Amino acid sequence: MKFSYIAPRKKSALTPEVQLLFAFFSVTFFMLFMTYAFLLFKDYRFSEEKASVIAQRENLEVALEDMKKRIVFIQKEQVLAEKVFTGNVVLKDSIANLFDLVPQRITLSQAQILQNGLILYGITPNRDVYNFMLHAPLKSIFHRSYSSFYPEENGWLRFVSTNYIDEEKLNEN
Amino acid sequence: MKIDISRQTLFLVLLLSLLLGVVLLFSFWVLIPEGKEYRERKLELRKEYTELQRYQNFYDETYAVLKELQSENKNIIEAFDNKFDAERFRKQHAPYFNSLSISQVAQLPQEEEFAVYEVNTTSHINSPTNFYEFLDSINKTDWIIGVNFPINFQREGEMIRSSFTMKVYTIAKDFNLSE
Repeated sequence: MKFSYIAPRKKSALTPEVQLLFAFFSVTFFMLFMTYAFLLFKDYRFSEEKASVIAQRENLEVALEDMKKRIVFIQKEQVLAEKVFTGNVVLKDSIANLFDLVPQRITLSQAQILQNGLILYGITPNRDVYNFMLHAPLKSIFHRSYSSFYPEENGWLRFVSTNYIDEEKLNEN
Repeated sequence: MKIDISRQTLFLVLLLSLLLGVVLLFSFWVLIPEGKEYRERKLELRKEYTELQRYQNFYDETYAVLKELQSENKNIIEAFDNKFDAERFRKQHAPYFNSLSISQVAQLPQEEEFAVYEVNTTSHINSPTNFYEFLDSINKTDWIIGVNFPINFQREGEMIRSSFTMKVYTIAKDFNLSE
């Protein structure tokens, strides 16, 4: 049996192979944890961004609702204004037509324009002039037409013409 | 057959297996599910952005419609906002009449979002033409005014005495959305 006189090397668990292994796995773990940290960070950012996008969308929804209400309101204003303006134009045309209807030989002293009727007061030289030149066109416009006459001192006739449009008959047509 | 494996090699193989196991466990239990969640959240966020863009486009379109409507109906909107001023009305429309008096501003029942006031008017005119001109001008006035029945014309010498009511429309206090 041979004996060596050299002092034995100190044995360690950290052999170069084990050190290499640890080095390799350290890098691997570092990369894995960094990836994990990156994913966690990105998830957090996504959640925050999503919350912000949802808040923006909700704000837009509120603003949109408000704008829609304003649009509807302006449209209502527009419709009402047009209705009123048209009413004024129609009224002007109706009054113009009424005065155009009255012949020169008949003189009006008063005219009452009602919602569904017309009352005229005036003077006519005789019944025929009134009947042919005023009563006939009035009868073609109104559903009911009544006339009454009062003699004047100068031989002319003072008349009251009452004319009505029946709403039911208008609706039937 | 005898396999000769040293204790050190065995230790190395065991350590390698252990570390590899940890890596695999970490990857499959933690990293891959987290990666999936990341991808899902990314897709969700993209969807939210698409939705937001859709809303933004709709908002822009609606805003353009509102602005166009506001500019087209500027006068009407302002007219509805104006409170009726009888004296200003009289000054504005006096040229059409020989005399014009406005009385009795009475509030009528509200029509939806609009308050309605009735104004009685008495005037003297030379001829019906003055009244036609007045009716033309009333649509360009500072208020929304509709001339209402009954309208009475009565001869008074060389003049015509006209009396009529007008309906003035303004926005009710509770509704002011057009600004």
